[in-house]
Amino acid sequence: MKIMDREENLREEILSVFKNTEVSSPKRKRLTVITEKALISEVMKFLKDRGFKQLCAISCIDWIEEKEFELIYHLSSFESGIHAMVKTKIDRENPVMKSMIPVFTNAQTYEREIWEMFGVQFEGNPRLIPLFLDRWRDIPPFRKDFDIREYVKRTFDVIPSLEEKQNG
Amino acid sequence: MDRGKISKWLKYPEKMGHKYSLWAIYFATGCGIMEIPPVLTSRWDAERFGVLPAATPRQANLFLITGYVSVKTLRPIVRTYELMREPKYTVGFGSCPINGGMYWDSYNTIKRVDKYIPIDGWIAGCMPRPESIFIAVTKLWMMIDKGAATGYIRYRENYRYYRENQERILGKLDWPPLYPEKMGEDNG
Repeated sequence: MKIMDREENLREEILSVFKNTEVSSPKRKRLTVITEKALISEVMKFLKDRGFKQLCAISCIDWIEEKEFELIYHLSSFESGIHAMVKTKIDRENPVMKSMIPVFTNAQTYEREIWEMFGVQFEGNPRLIPLFLDRWRDIPPFRKDFDIREYVKRTFDVIPSLEEKQNG
Repeated sequence: MDRGKISKWLKYPEKMGHKYSLWAIYFATGCGIMEIPPVLTSRWDAERFGVLPAATPRQANLFLITGYVSVKTLRPIVRTYELMREPKYTVGFGSCPINGGMYWDSYNTIKRVDKYIPIDGWIAGCMPRPESIFIAVTKLWMMIDKGAATGYIRYRENYRYYRENQERILGKLDWPPLYPEKMGEDNG
């Protein structure tokens, strides 16, 4: 089988099973699957059965103007060497997503981080507790409407140094 | 022993003792910890300067804060500093503890560590070379000679100020104050 054929075969296979799904291969050994929220765990299971054994990462993008979060699941296959990205968009006002732990166990930590940094709720993840932040009281810091400079001024810069305090 | 220093030893035995027995505890907060192993081992050999690594904070009197301090690591830093016995000296290592360095606008990095614990000396640079640790140590000797390394006295005198700043960032601290008698009075 030629190298480019593998991506093409996989593309046709996915399109024949799933409706409302776009599949493209922007270049060699890359596969982009854009699907809807409800189908995502079936797509992941489907890809896992076809050699995509490793979940490398989950990333999240805040599309503030479209009022959407985009979740991207990065899968990789050791057999064919293809890197597949499964993308989906969820509502920004009420960001709820089904947990991917039943398919890939290591999704737990990735989902925990996205929960902390973007505030996306993952249903079925048993351990959504703070990972990097210590007693965070503000909106999640990776959201685009979070003003980092203003937060730094309000939290760290207002504390006077000892000299300022003693000199009044 | 250097014969020229005998008179100094007889005059100020405690100062000379503090100078030449610095036991370092280093807090591996950030990238600065990479400079510590060559400093302590044969390449630069800190023992020439009387600096040795200590096993626990209770046995140490030199605290090296190597690298950036995140909000989460400030809590163990305060804890470690309070566990150390007096006299204790603190050195902030690298530009991040001084003013945040490249993390000056980060939501999770402490800017200016000296608002939370007193710092006796700073080593600027990103990263500082291991030689600069020895320059800092010799500067610290001079400060101890002159009685200028008074960070721990400053901490005791202004304990309420420091504790309030710590609680402002970390929330209510779950250990009792080190100097409870200083908490009541206004020393600001």
